Amino acid sequence: MLDRLLLLLLFLIGFWGIIARRNIIKKIFGLTIINSAVVILFILEGSRIGNSTPIMSSGIADVVDPVPQALMLTAIVIGVCITALALAMAFRLYRSAGTFDIDEIRRKIHDEAS
Amino acid sequence: MMKRQRVISFLQTFLALGAVLAVVIPVFLSDFPWPTSARDYLEAHGVADSGARNLVSAIYLGYRAFDTLGETIVLLVAVSGTIGIIAQSGVSLARGFGEEALDRKTASPRLRHRRTELIDVVTGKLGPIVLIFGLYVMLFGHLSPGGGFQGGVVIASGIVFIALGSKNEDSTRLQEAGMLARIEAAGFLSLILAALSGMVTGSGFFGNPLAGMGASPVSYIVILNAVIGLKVGAGIGFMCVAMMGRVE
Amino acid sequence: MKPPDIMMAPVYLPILGAALAFCAKAFFQGRLGKGVEYAGVFVGLGLPWLALAWGLPLVLSGEALQIVMGNWFGGVGILYRFDGLGWLVILLGYSVATAAYIYALGAGPRGPGFSGIFLIQTAALAATAMTVDLFNLFVCLEVMGIASYILVAKSEKPGAFLAAFSYLMVSATAMVFFLIGFFGLYRLTGALSYQGIAEGLRSLPENGGIIALVSLSLVVAAVAIRVAVMPLYGWLPDAHALAPHAISAVLSGVLIKTPLFALSRILMVLPAGPEAGRLMGYAGAVTALAGVTIALAQKDTKRLLAYHSISQIGYVVAAWGAALALGVHTPAGLALMTAAFLHALYHALFKGLLFLTIGTTTDLAGERDVYLLRGAAGMLRRAGEKVPVTLVSFIMGALAISAIPPLNGYASKAALSYALKGTWQDGFLFLAGIGTTASFIKLSRIYWPVRKRAPAPAESAAGKTIHPAVQFSQGLLALLCLAGGLAGPLLSRFVMTLLGGDASPAASLPPQLFSLQNLQKTGLVAAGGIILFLLASTKPGKGLMHLIRRRPRGFQGLFLSFTLGLAGLSLWLFFQSRPVGW
Repeated sequence: MLDRLLLLLLFLIGFWGIIARRNIIKKIFGLTIINSAVVILFILEGSRIGNSTPIMSSGIADVVDPVPQALMLTAIVIGVCITALALAMAFRLYRSAGTFDIDEIRRKIHDEAS
Repeated sequence: MMKRQRVISFLQTFLALGAVLAVVIPVFLSDFPWPTSARDYLEAHGVADSGARNLVSAIYLGYRAFDTLGETIVLLVAVSGTIGIIAQSGVSLARGFGEEALDRKTASPRLRHRRTELIDVVTGKLGPIVLIFGLYVMLFGHLSPGGGFQGGVVIASGIVFIALGSKNEDSTRLQEAGMLARIEAAGFLSLILAALSGMVTGSGFFGNPLAGMGASPVSYIVILNAVIGLKVGAGIGFMCVAMMGRVE
Repeated sequence: MKPPDIMMAPVYLPILGAALAFCAKAFFQGRLGKGVEYAGVFVGLGLPWLALAWGLPLVLSGEALQIVMGNWFGGVGILYRFDGLGWLVILLGYSVATAAYIYALGAGPRGPGFSGIFLIQTAALAATAMTVDLFNLFVCLEVMGIASYILVAKSEKPGAFLAAFSYLMVSATAMVFFLIGFFGLYRLTGALSYQGIAEGLRSLPENGGIIALVSLSLVVAAVAIRVAVMPLYGWLPDAHALAPHAISAVLSGVLIKTPLFALSRILMVLPAGPEAGRLMGYAGAVTALAGVTIALAQKDTKRLLAYHSISQIGYVVAAWGAALALGVHTPAGLALMTAAFLHALYHALFKGLLFLTIGTTTDLAGERDVYLLRGAAGMLRRAGEKVPVTLVSFIMGALAISAIPPLNGYASKAALSYALKGTWQDGFLFLAGIGTTASFIKLSRIYWPVRKRAPAPAESAAGKTIHPAVQFSQGLLALLCLAGGLAGPLLSRFVMTLLGGDASPAASLPPQLFSLQNLQKTGLVAAGGIILFLLASTKPGKGLMHLIRRRPRGFQGLFLSFTLGLAGLSLWLFFQSRPVGW
């Protein structure tokens, strides 16, 4: 129970980072944190039904659930790719607006457009 | 006005977090017993179906290989898009990595870094060792923890080490833009052709073409691991080395 | 080649084409590179039409092909289903994608990188339409998403990066919530396919209880944010308005509809699905009216079109939701779903057409403000368009969206109001129709000749010509709009057959499409639209528009609306599952 409470706390911290922090880079941190929290949740819960790693050699039985592990491989890679793309966009926004603050950027773009 | 905005912002955050908490708690903290049906099936049949002893590899390169293809596509598109977005801004990437870096006047002439001798020596010498380790992780993915993605990322770090540690630009061709892009594109084409090959032998798209042919189906998994590893390594290496080229 | 292989062709052919395009970029230069790239595009956008043609007899006879990809074990492997719904959605996706790519050959972004990513987006659309596996849906939505973030950012306008960034952050966060929902459902059932999950849930007490309801609402909210119904629409106006024109056409036409129909596969089998559909239907009706109200207030041409997309998807979702609530296999439900799909298809055609023509016009004039731009018809003529293809196409698109016969919008809106007859949703849609007419009168003003007193707008496009590919794609879409309208009843029966069931007597379209009653209704809407337009041009009208335009929108608002929508859906499902007493 404690481990899941900690994961929930981690998830909430990440989500708070996305919505409450004004710095774009910190928003991207938040996204990475919530991704990690969910990945750890899957692996943790999937590991409760077994005792050994899912590599079958003679005499290995009662392995953990390999399905969450395989699925989370995909989820981790996708998360990394999204983070890279988001950082590239943050870089462009910084170069055009001179700041990482999202409210400032929005204001500058509105002023330019109108 | 600032105070009012801050209060509104605080209220919005509070409301959003409360809503999320209310919805997510039942799922995070549930005590429902984890299902064992998938694990039981895989324990019994996984090795026979796919030939790989690593059940996780059997899943993501066998049963659910299409998800892996999707993941590879995401990586390819992300690398291409990231480099494209950065290069369009006119920042000089390492020579050859920008979209039209070769005919821009602002292309950086050479990588100029203030590096210490320590980095040159250590990373330059470690680079090939890391590459070998990456190849091992990649090719033994069906027998021990590892596989295409993990090995590919280690290969990418090997490429970065070599790029960091090379004094002149012709120590190896692995750090050139053109070479890495070619490896990546060829890797992706090979992956999709390997996926389609199952159709020719009758086991369907992404079916194991060697199933039922007498040969052990594990060779297909090894080939897939190798192709994915090369593609991922080249792609991530391309992205990292491109960003290393800043004019001081 | 076995049937399952041909069935998967719309998915793997574009991927193969994209691989060729990326190879062209890496290996070849010059003419050879272009040749390989266009070969890839032909493989990816041209050949799948053959697969669609092959599949038509199969789905017309009511059969469906369901396979496990690669012939692995079904409990762990990925299931795909090729049936009438999948065929129709793939048809929608490919027609708009092909037209948009032809346009891009003339005017839009070019290059092997663009072609490759465009083809991958198309492949992801086809896969989303056919998948019946929950985790595979996650992967397909992510592929579709990442291709679209990059394509939106390809236009070099100042706001495009902010739009792409907001879209990315909201979508990526929503997909993490999707994963949590998937976690809940896998935990309860141990299955990954929709059918497996449904069977697992039904074998549990209370169909899974709170965990199942909450997980379902997480999955639905995450997919719904891509469909952009209220309150989840915040990212759409910026992203669609600032993307390159060909990409706006594909975004508005296809990318907001495919997740909707993929979601219907889930909601058709899961226990609490119909109730979730019902709530989304209500939200859709509200969206239709609210979207058009905001649209009427817009200054920027493409942003006006983007808000109209939100409103029109509201139409589709209203009917779709009602169909799911009644059950798609009942006659009434089938009629509603047919109307929903018909409107989705027609909207894709005429909205794509509108984005392309407005794009050509504003590029030529160098001005996007509806209040400032005038005399575009003359500009188009001076740019070398002897036959006014762009102008006529725009007029046809505007008539289509205002539901004027004989264009396709008339047919699909008649179908919607017939299927929704008597409900409050129909009233909302009627009012929204008035708003649509008004705002398109406003938009069409850019083509009117310049008044003598007003200063002539700066023609910053001296010397620009209009590429024949641009004219061809616009003309093609316009013809399809016209054909869709004239062949309305035929197409409606065709869609109904494909969606399951033979053409039953309770057909989706009113028996007499061009009956006096319908034409009277259209006349009423048109008259109401003209009156509304005149009202909006008055001083108090303009003030109200200004107020609506200036309402606060922020990054935080996107997430707040997502979480509130999510919580609202969970509460709704919870209260609907209680038998009595509330």
